[in-house]
Amino acid sequence: MMQRWIWRLLPLTPAALALLAWWAWFALDRPPPSVMPPAIDVVVTMANLAFGGRLPGDILASMARLLSGSLFGIVTGMAAGFVAGLNRPIANFMNPLVVFFNAISGIVWLPLVIGWLGIGSPLAIFLIWNTVFFIIFQNTVLGVQLVPEVLELSVQSLGGSRWETIRSVTLPGALPYILSGIRSGLGFGWRALIAAELVGATTGLGQLIFSGAEYHRADIIVGGCLLIGAIAMAMDRWLLLPIEKRTVIRWGLVTSGQGR
Amino acid sequence: MGDKIEVSGFRHFFQTEGGPVQATGTIDLSIKAGEFVTLVGPSGCGKTTLLKAIAGFLTPSEGRILCDGKPVRGPGRDRGVVFQELAILPWRTVRRNIAHGLEIAGAPKAEREATVARLIGLMGLGGFEDRYPHELSGGMRQRVAVARTWAADPEVILMNEPFAAVDAMTRLTLQEELGRLCAATRKTVFFITHSVEEAVFLADRVLVMTKRPGTIKAVLNVPRSTAGGRDWDSFTSDPGMQKIAGEVMHLVHAERV
Repeated sequence: MMQRWIWRLLPLTPAALALLAWWAWFALDRPPPSVMPPAIDVVVTMANLAFGGRLPGDILASMARLLSGSLFGIVTGMAAGFVAGLNRPIANFMNPLVVFFNAISGIVWLPLVIGWLGIGSPLAIFLIWNTVFFIIFQNTVLGVQLVPEVLELSVQSLGGSRWETIRSVTLPGALPYILSGIRSGLGFGWRALIAAELVGATTGLGQLIFSGAEYHRADIIVGGCLLIGAIAMAMDRWLLLPIEKRTVIRWGLVTSGQGR
Repeated sequence: MGDKIEVSGFRHFFQTEGGPVQATGTIDLSIKAGEFVTLVGPSGCGKTTLLKAIAGFLTPSEGRILCDGKPVRGPGRDRGVVFQELAILPWRTVRRNIAHGLEIAGAPKAEREATVARLIGLMGLGGFEDRYPHELSGGMRQRVAVARTWAADPEVILMNEPFAAVDAMTRLTLQEELGRLCAATRKTVFFITHSVEEAVFLADRVLVMTKRPGTIKAVLNVPRSTAGGRDWDSFTSDPGMQKIAGEVMHLVHAERV
């Protein structure tokens, strides 16, 4: 019983260690607040911004952009990934395009897309989509191609149509790769979002950090980064992990590492 | 009863970068309705190619394959397949794996449940209905694979070395269970194996193939009366069965690669 509790604390220890290092830095060598703010300043600043400040609006704006851009990227990436994964000629047609556009970073698109879409959410959503799509697409193609053919044949010899085969074999079979794609996609989606918001938005956590940079407010920058990381961790734990526990881990396709 | 499966003038080549490779010689065979036919031959002789062609997974380079007098044009629910690789879906429970064929056929829920319950009983899977395949032993998984194919109620069942991947002890049990299942359901079965004993134990008729490109070199009838209840005790103590097994062994031995 005791031991279990110790193991459950394990994910919190990196945060505790980081705090300890932060505190030690200030105890040993007082850096100027514009280089690194003391932890307490960050907490106070963020609390002020949270209650009566701009923070709730920024969080909501960023989350809405991240979720819509990612969802858009996941849906289109999966759809294109299935089409390409199941169809060799289409894959041959699409692959050069995918490799080409995947190499063009979001920052390059920014000046062009500001002209097309203006400043605001559509721009951020486009840049997130531009990041998430390729990751989901490539993971889906790989997942679809790695589903054992024998499972597809077995459904066909039960009288299953092509659609039934895709629904009952290809989709669940590719799911470990798709979920892995969603995990990395969300992470890179955050990066794209903040980059987009630095320039192409008037609200959002990226703008908050940018305004902190303008006024040399390291407490706002550090606080914004901590918040982004915390939201990303919460989404992974309460959104993605429950899906994995009910599917790929439950089916034994991925071991959770528990009980070892 | 007439021929359920008729293979005539079958020959197959695989296209490779170095040109076509002959997978089988010319094969003719027919399987009567309700018959259990086993095919033994050395590895690489083309056993699996023949089975895949009957299943409709590949189109023969030459010759034709009829099922119930109609040409085979692709996989279909009239020909169930039990694969050597465990072809059960990891994301479906035992119950839902077995029910899959009936779901596809649009069978009503009550019928699905009755069929699944009967097969779970016949295959000794009671208590495991709601488990996922990764929670089962290899032998259990192969029982699920057999039940999954049987549940769809195909007239013909094609089995490709279904017990090759399970341990020797479990294999003996599975072979006896298969014998009982076939006696209870009277299916037409075409069963591929490289085990001589397994071939003779299960069969009404044993076909022996030559090495690649394989052709059928001998056909031996296994009289049912001699086989008794098809359990390994009576099989090993039956001189008639041992004589047939000896003959098949002799024929197979000559084809060693």
